[in-house]
Amino acid sequence: MISRRLNQWNNLKTWQPLIVAISLVMVVAILHKAHWELTTETNPVETWKGKTITKGDNETNINFPENVGDSFTFKGILMTSPKFEVYNNDSIVLGEYSKDEALVYDEDLYGKTIINLSGMRILVNGDLSGKFFESEVITVKAYLIENTSYYTENEQNITLNREGWEAMPEDIHLASDTDYYFFTSELIILAIGSYYSFSRIQNLRTQLRFAKHLALFEFGRGLKAPRMIVLGSFFTIFIVGIGWLLGDLQNSASVFAVTSGNDGILRLSYFSFFVVSLAAIAVSVDTIHKERQSNTLNMLLARPINRETIVLGKAIGLTMVVGIPAFIAQVLGLYFMTIAGEMPTIGCMITFLIFGQVMIFTMVTFQLCLAISAKNGADVVIYGLGAWLLFSVVWTLLVYAVSFVIGIDVSAQNFENDPEYQAIASRLALFNPGFVYQMAVGLFTHRTISIDFEGVPGWLLLLSLVLWPLICLRIATWLFKREMRG
Amino acid sequence: MANSLLELDKVQKDYRIRSFGRVIRTTKALDKLSLKVEKGQIFGFLGPNGAGKTTTIKCITGILKSDTGSIKIEGENIEDNSFENKNKIGFLPEQIGLYGNLNCFETLAFYAGFYNLDTETIEERSLELLKVLGLEKDSKRNVGEFSLGMKKRLALAIALLHKPQILILDEPTSGLDPRGVKALRSVLRDLNQKGLTILLSSHVLSEVQEICTHVGIINDGKLIRQESIQEIREKVRKTAIKLSLRVKNFDKESSHEITKKKGISIIEVNDLGKHQQIILTLKEKQIPWITDKLVSKGVQIFSIEPQDTSLEDVFMTETGGNSDD
Repeated sequence: MISRRLNQWNNLKTWQPLIVAISLVMVVAILHKAHWELTTETNPVETWKGKTITKGDNETNINFPENVGDSFTFKGILMTSPKFEVYNNDSIVLGEYSKDEALVYDEDLYGKTIINLSGMRILVNGDLSGKFFESEVITVKAYLIENTSYYTENEQNITLNREGWEAMPEDIHLASDTDYYFFTSELIILAIGSYYSFSRIQNLRTQLRFAKHLALFEFGRGLKAPRMIVLGSFFTIFIVGIGWLLGDLQNSASVFAVTSGNDGILRLSYFSFFVVSLAAIAVSVDTIHKERQSNTLNMLLARPINRETIVLGKAIGLTMVVGIPAFIAQVLGLYFMTIAGEMPTIGCMITFLIFGQVMIFTMVTFQLCLAISAKNGADVVIYGLGAWLLFSVVWTLLVYAVSFVIGIDVSAQNFENDPEYQAIASRLALFNPGFVYQMAVGLFTHRTISIDFEGVPGWLLLLSLVLWPLICLRIATWLFKREMRG
Repeated sequence: MANSLLELDKVQKDYRIRSFGRVIRTTKALDKLSLKVEKGQIFGFLGPNGAGKTTTIKCITGILKSDTGSIKIEGENIEDNSFENKNKIGFLPEQIGLYGNLNCFETLAFYAGFYNLDTETIEERSLELLKVLGLEKDSKRNVGEFSLGMKKRLALAIALLHKPQILILDEPTSGLDPRGVKALRSVLRDLNQKGLTILLSSHVLSEVQEICTHVGIINDGKLIRQESIQEIREKVRKTAIKLSLRVKNFDKESSHEITKKKGISIIEVNDLGKHQQIILTLKEKQIPWITDKLVSKGVQIFSIEPQDTSLEDVFMTETGGNSDD
């Protein structure tokens, strides 16, 4: 048993450093998780729910199981933007008891913020407007305090003996301040592992040169292909038109109104995916199949080029065929959107363009998988169109179906606002490269990756964005090697 | 002693038929095939349809991967250093696949990109090869406009571009007109004289006989004979000779009577007008028996002449009579 495992390990000579690196990354990830679990309360809503409210004739007591003076660091998601939670004379009615916030509004609260941390209310002694935003994952060092206040209910004076959690603004931090140490360590480990693994690949430089040669050849051929000329013109007009429309809708009061430049770019990323993914599928639809039929593939396989390099070269070449015109179309789309409307954030615009190329590469490699395994030309086209329809058109129906199966009433009014439905939709979106692209662009409208997308953290979204093309490429090379083995 | 340039040792290859990713059927293509090609040889690879010739060539050139066994070039396993070893091979497939929208120079430049050749060398070699192969005038035309013969010549130029040590040709003359065949034969001889080792598979037996120095016969994925052409002929001659008999009154009954005897087979019967010509193979010791038998059946024998044993006869004998490749 042990010797068999050792043999298996020895057979993986090239990938041993990467496997070790991935194992270490997993260890760091566990330590990362353990760090938060050991140093913070990661489920603040449980603490909040642990309070007891007892009501007497003219007295209300709010107590927590913890002792007054206790201090804990809570980690959670800001459920609402703090700028909407600052107390001032417009937002509160003095003397009123708020059950949700478990306190009585008084003048002392002016200028303070009551944050909603994953359902837990913490009173912050300061104004957090513009300092923290909705969906950000933060840590709050809070103290359990006690005070007494008075309110009137049913014309009766009631004393509130309140225990509550309070924090100072300087004790609130983005979780990413710590997360970045772990993520950076993981990236460094992964980079070292990859470096040593790649350095073990025979003739890596030569193979990369071949991949470049093949990619440039595919690019040249693809650009001259009539279908690309038609599709390229079509998606350029479409993206530019939609860009202008989304800019114009920012000044509109219609139901389709776009709220901001960032909102506009998120919608533009969806429409970009809608047409560009179709082009990516169309150019790569018959690449392997047609070459197999015309025997050009055999001519290529007889050269000193690895099978992995062939798939990589073709994938890069086809990505360039769609990616370069798409990049130009997206820049034009952005330009027309910004001249008609608001300017999105720079980070958001950059990721819109860069992640767009990642999305195109993903769709090309995804289609390569289908093209390699299909038995004939008709199958390749049907599989490709099926994949495009699934990812860009009927995905929502799939989400409805899954939600229905797990017991969400999808016939109810506004069920899309149900947090449970949103959590399902967000998690399923990770399996759709289009939504991953859109959400990743959305992530960079924020200043941190410690963002929660209805249960999907930002880092998981970025991991998904990276894994999609890598997994598709790996499957494509595996399928290609299997098919070419005979 | 000659050095072994190419050596196949117990190479096994099964084709797997898949449905939804699962292997539903396997077909044995190569069954522990062993083969040696020495430096400087023109090695002819013969075998009936489905014998495994193309599969063997595809395994050598890396288009297919063998399941077990080893393929060595100059003593090095071909898969150990695929890049270096593939550089030693030039390959001309039977079905030529070229990009129709490229001209000769572009085509050669594309394939040359997969070898360590600088631009200057590529241009120099391209010009030289196109000249030798008679494609100089058509070098600016798109390959899509080429005839099959021209495509074959261009594919041969691709195969020779990086100066390989061994040139592998799969049915090189298929689809070529007689002039093209003759020209190709001449080019191959010249290349061989310059030291290039050649391995070719062909169904045109006369061509193999004419050009090859050594022959390997494959059947059902196994190499059943590998020798020089002369050696093969000698061996067959020892076991069976070919006779041409000029006779009269040879009928079906006589034919049936003599072919009942083990070791005698009639290759053809020709009507010469007054007489008939029978060409048959038999063992030398059976000659008295056959003449007695024919005479006893009333057949008049006018002449008995020995015939040259062709490679086709060897092929027929070795592969069980099916030469329809």
